Amino acid sequence: MEPLDQELEESELELPAEPMLLNVGPSHPAMHGTVRCVMELSGEIIERVDVQVGYLHRGFEKMCERGTWTQVFPYVDRCNYVSPMLNNVGFALVCEKLLEIKVPERCQWYRMALGELARMSDHLTCDGAMAMELGAFTPFLWMIKGREMIWDLMEEETGARLTHSFGRVGGMAQPPTDGFKENARAVAKHILHIIEEVERLLLGNRIFLDRLEGVGVISQEDAISLCWTGPCLRATGIPYDVRKAHPYLKYGEVDFDVPVGQASDCFDRFIVRIEEIKQSARILEQCLKAMPDSGPVNVDDPRVILPPKNEVYSTIEGTIQHFKIVMEGLKLPAGEAYGYTEGGNGEMGYYIVSDGSGTPFRVRIRPPCYYITGGLERVITGHMMADVVPCFGSLNMIGGECDR
Amino acid sequence: MNLPIAELLVFLLRGFVVVMFAMNVAVILTWADRRQGAAIQDRVGPNRAVIWLPTKLAQGMAVLPALGLSVGILALVAGHEFDGAMRTVASVVFSQLAILWVWLTGLAIGGKVSQRGPQNSFDVFIGSIGDPRRFVYAGLALHVLALGTGAMYRGTETGAMLEQVGISAGPAVFVFAILFGALYAAYSIRKEPRVGLRLLGLLHPAADGLKTVFKEDFIPPNADKFLHSLAPIIAFFPALVVLGVVPFGDSLCFGVDPETHRIAFSKLLDTLPAAGCSGADVIALPLQVVRLNVGVLYFFALAGTGIVGAALAGWASDNKFSLLGGLRAASQMVSYEVTMGLTLIGVFMVYGTLRVDEMVRWQADNAWGMFTQPLAFVLFFTAAVAESKRIPFDLPEGESEIVAGYYTEYAGMKFAMFFFAEYIAVVTSSALMAALFLGGWDLPFVRPDGIHVAIGDTVLMSEALPHVFLVVIGALGFVLKTITLCWLQLTIRWTLPRFRYDQLMRLGWRKLLPASLANILFTGVVILAVQSAGPAVSHGLVIAAQFSKLVLAVGGLALVVWLGLFLLRPVHKRRMLATSSAQFAASLGGTRDARMEA
Repeated sequence: MEPLDQELEESELELPAEPMLLNVGPSHPAMHGTVRCVMELSGEIIERVDVQVGYLHRGFEKMCERGTWTQVFPYVDRCNYVSPMLNNVGFALVCEKLLEIKVPERCQWYRMALGELARMSDHLTCDGAMAMELGAFTPFLWMIKGREMIWDLMEEETGARLTHSFGRVGGMAQPPTDGFKENARAVAKHILHIIEEVERLLLGNRIFLDRLEGVGVISQEDAISLCWTGPCLRATGIPYDVRKAHPYLKYGEVDFDVPVGQASDCFDRFIVRIEEIKQSARILEQCLKAMPDSGPVNVDDPRVILPPKNEVYSTIEGTIQHFKIVMEGLKLPAGEAYGYTEGGNGEMGYYIVSDGSGTPFRVRIRPPCYYITGGLERVITGHMMADVVPCFGSLNMIGGECDR
Repeated sequence: MNLPIAELLVFLLRGFVVVMFAMNVAVILTWADRRQGAAIQDRVGPNRAVIWLPTKLAQGMAVLPALGLSVGILALVAGHEFDGAMRTVASVVFSQLAILWVWLTGLAIGGKVSQRGPQNSFDVFIGSIGDPRRFVYAGLALHVLALGTGAMYRGTETGAMLEQVGISAGPAVFVFAILFGALYAAYSIRKEPRVGLRLLGLLHPAADGLKTVFKEDFIPPNADKFLHSLAPIIAFFPALVVLGVVPFGDSLCFGVDPETHRIAFSKLLDTLPAAGCSGADVIALPLQVVRLNVGVLYFFALAGTGIVGAALAGWASDNKFSLLGGLRAASQMVSYEVTMGLTLIGVFMVYGTLRVDEMVRWQADNAWGMFTQPLAFVLFFTAAVAESKRIPFDLPEGESEIVAGYYTEYAGMKFAMFFFAEYIAVVTSSALMAALFLGGWDLPFVRPDGIHVAIGDTVLMSEALPHVFLVVIGALGFVLKTITLCWLQLTIRWTLPRFRYDQLMRLGWRKLLPASLANILFTGVVILAVQSAGPAVSHGLVIAAQFSKLVLAVGGLALVVWLGLFLLRPVHKRRMLATSSAQFAASLGGTRDARMEA
């Protein structure tokens, strides 16, 4: 940001004026999701801002405490609703941690493949929406077309486009479909093509660069003290990625890079996400190559996994097993566990406490957005009103995840 | 002064034509804008508005006008004796029209058949021809063949015979094609219970506009009610009336009534001398609503008024977002008005007049403004886009920052007036730019008496043509230029992101303004240098101007050919059918035929 306009400052001296109090949100086009920003504007410059979250609070964590462990999946779906598969897998992983089981290899690759597709859709949405809010509508439509392909693929795999509830403790709801590998490869190819087109359209555009470069800068220290993770932290130059730092599933076995920014401005956050889409495509290709075409997807443990439907109806063991899991729920051993994965926006953590009954005692979700939104005030103070749009867009605050 | 009723009517007619032109192109622009968005997403776009017609009525609408037209043509041919130059022209026009209509009809039927499959033996025959594009190729070949043969045998015995064929067989084939097409259409819809009139989806923006009339007219409780209602009117009308000074064609030349010494509408001149419409016994009827001696200054006076509308709307709405939008609008438009005005000073210096029609004549005699004032053209274009408040200059209404800017608190027709004013501003600024920089109605080498292709002393082609024909193709050329500039603005709107307020001001005051001042200085220096240089330089300039016309003519033709090829290219739609539900929908023929009627 350049120094504030000289004329504005002088005119303030000549004509005493008090700053305008502007209430932006909770329902405002720039506040995607529902956030309220109370701004004190001097001209167009934001002198002070009060960011208020919580308008989308639905009490998910409390609601989790009245069902079974399996019934938590629909709730985590609705946290980051742009990449629900990552949330699903994250929650399944923490439950498996407490159960001390490990899903079969095929399932691990499958989870990774679906997760990287979800990450692509997350980043496509964020970057596309950011460009659209700056007025560049075409890249948004292109990127949404790409996201649509991913969602079509997800629909084919899971039956639902948006909130799949596809994860299960100990596996997945269904094995991969026959055409999964072929479809996923085709989708990834199209998306890389879209990314190429978007780069051609935007990265040489002076207006777009001027709007992003040097806007919304945050220091590494601030980012760390605010508990930032994910692309926003990596844009400041800190290469922290849960997939690399604490590999889970098979992430230790795949080859990918962690893109980092330098200036930690809006442009870096934009370009880091673009680069991560390409890395996701790399990971996806490796997963598809490594994933066996046959073999079990779910763990072979009758206490955890529902029996096949025909066994439920024809054998007494199957009926009992089904009844126990559905009516009493999974019996996670008493204790507590924290599991964390790399979500769309950063470290997606679940801290679960089990008392040994079939019902969660406490499910605490660590949403990456919440901490990132905490930095919004620091990022936009002193900028112009119009800069809220790229700043807020690049932080990618997802209301469902932030407010839960 | 008593104005004869005919002159008054003609005056009103000109105004009506201009207003209708602006409004209709604006409606088409809203449609095209949305189509462009749909095209990016491989969607159909706005096409839901439809008027259902009873089949009998639709058949009547197809057949009756065709019958009327046929009778009119036959009556014209039978009752009119073509002689001399008119004979040649009539034979060429009729034969070309006949060929055009035959291949158009073939193309339409062929396209329909390939879309829905053959229904009778004639359809089978048309279908057996194969790709409907073959009609286009055959038609174009026939056009060229007919023109070429006519030109080759001009003035000979065979030529006279061919003229006779053109005059007699041309209208007959033309009438046959019209009637056949209409009857075929009427026949093919006979089994439909009703026929939907969609006009390519053009009814959709019209329906949207009509809808806003019936919407609630909301005025915020604490708003200034009078100013709140006044603002959209002030924003709307200046955008429209500035077209009054833009000429949309060359003057029509009439004889003088010997008794009243006024214009005689019955005495339209057949041909003009090379000097154009001048002399004691002729009166020119300018194709322009008013010929003001202040010309372009009138445009600035009124375009500046549009700012008041936006500023008033922002102030009167009692909303902080509106206020911010109004402030942005006012400062932005004032800043860019300065650049616009200074840019045109260079143009005045070159053309030596303020009248837009005189400017167009200067460009017709010399070179187009885009060659004499290229920098001014670019600057003026930028400033005009900024004036119309569209992306990348749409800060006053930047929807993701300040909701909808100065019209946040507007609904219904008042909102539609702001919205429409924006599109009309695109049309008017395009029309003005076409007149100032793209030669207005001038087409390369088209002179008042005909087409003369000449570079220096080398005459490549010289052809005298009727006066009315030249005026009509000039007017069509002007419309084409205007639409091209509109389309360019549309494309810019879909490509670029939005500026920030300080960046916008910096661009206006620190880049465009100095550039326009430099343009004035540079233009002045060049004009002085040319004036003090010898005749050799001015002769060189004349050659350069003629060469620029040649470049335009060749470039224009290449553009037309490219456009034709582009339109004829088969469309390969790539569809991702990843999901089984999408495959299921595709196996049922896609969603296009599945009518959505809720």
